Amino acid sequence: MKTAERAYASLRERIRTEWVLYLLAFLFILVADTIGQIKIPVWKGTFIIFPIFYALFLGILTGPNVFKILDDKKVKAASGLVGVAILPFVAKLGINAGANISIVISAGPALLLQELGNLCTIFLAMPIALMLGLKREAIGATHSINRETNLALMQDMFGADSLEAQGSLSVYIVGGMVGTIYFGFMASMAAATGLFHPYALGMASGVGAGILMSSAVAALSEVMPAYADQIAAMASASETISGIDGIYMAIFLGIPLCNFLYRKLEPTLGRLTKSGRELAEKN
Amino acid sequence: MTIKDWIFVLAISGLGMMTANYIGFDVAFSQSFPGVLVLLLIALCAAGLSHVIPLKLPTVAYCSILGLLCACPLSPVSQFVIESAGKINFTAPLTMVGAFAGMSISNQLKMFFKQGRKLIIITILVMTGTFFGSLAVAQVVLQLTHAI
Repeated sequence: MKTAERAYASLRERIRTEWVLYLLAFLFILVADTIGQIKIPVWKGTFIIFPIFYALFLGILTGPNVFKILDDKKVKAASGLVGVAILPFVAKLGINAGANISIVISAGPALLLQELGNLCTIFLAMPIALMLGLKREAIGATHSINRETNLALMQDMFGADSLEAQGSLSVYIVGGMVGTIYFGFMASMAAATGLFHPYALGMASGVGAGILMSSAVAALSEVMPAYADQIAAMASASETISGIDGIYMAIFLGIPLCNFLYRKLEPTLGRLTKSGRELAEKN
Repeated sequence: MTIKDWIFVLAISGLGMMTANYIGFDVAFSQSFPGVLVLLLIALCAAGLSHVIPLKLPTVAYCSILGLLCACPLSPVSQFVIESAGKINFTAPLTMVGAFAGMSISNQLKMFFKQGRKLIIITILVMTGTFFGSLAVAQVVLQLTHAI
């Protein structure tokens, strides 16, 4: 992971740069876990606000755009720390999967095939992106869920200044701000429909983004406590597979599919609105 | 990162986990400790593996596979691993992750507000589609293979 690349000259230098981050993190844990969970009933389901959301929100406020406690160097250091701090959680989910290994194996075919389901998003989001007037940005924006590796991939394939990479960056940024909360909410709403088995819900949570997965799993285990262990096991297995195959899915299936749909749909859908037509003529 | 760095940062996250487990769930530090140690050891080994093995796999992949192996019935320590990790509440490790994640995107707040309605709609659609796409496939295949 990218945490391996950024090195300090010594551990002492790391501590000198990062101690503020540790201090803030502990402070946020004190505040967030003291408040604890808040449950708000919505329709047939529940919207659960977890301590991770408060911590995330407080973290966002510390940065150069609001309270300016952190400068850009420290912000970068924090992103390295995320990669380390999430590992114990990932290990815990792995343990859940190991403890429930027989049901994970019996769900093997579903686990593998549901990876392809992640691509379904392209059929939904691409046409709408085009109707809204996006051009090549739509390819970057809709080819995947656009977390770190996907963003890097788009910048690598199309160039950092390309429209494709800009679309990917936009979804990356918006996803970072609202994704964690939305993913948990969406998962609990999906559970509330009663249409889906907890195993399937667990699998769907593993989309190749640790923090999104954790939010969904936390919400699901709260609304389906009897299945909490199995949900975590399925999420862990699916997340692991996504982590391994995600980038290849994007290169060999997601991006080609986006390019194909773009060619087929843009000439019609991309010109429904005035802004879409104007952009098309400009190019 | 050197091994010293890894041990240090993991120790910090272990402390964070124990703090969250205590404040949020009233689990004493002494009760959390064995589980935290297990999780940190697995994480450390995963970091080591991803350093040594030349495959380009994310560290999290090694980490979850190692966790699975330690807890599966073939493992001689599975009982201890499962029980001690069970003391760590599910969301306890996450508060610190959220704190760091928030800090790490804190310089994007201005850019976020510049994105406008369209990109917010599209992001929500992309997430919804990814989740429900795999949910639908999973449900159908689970039923077809009689796994549920």
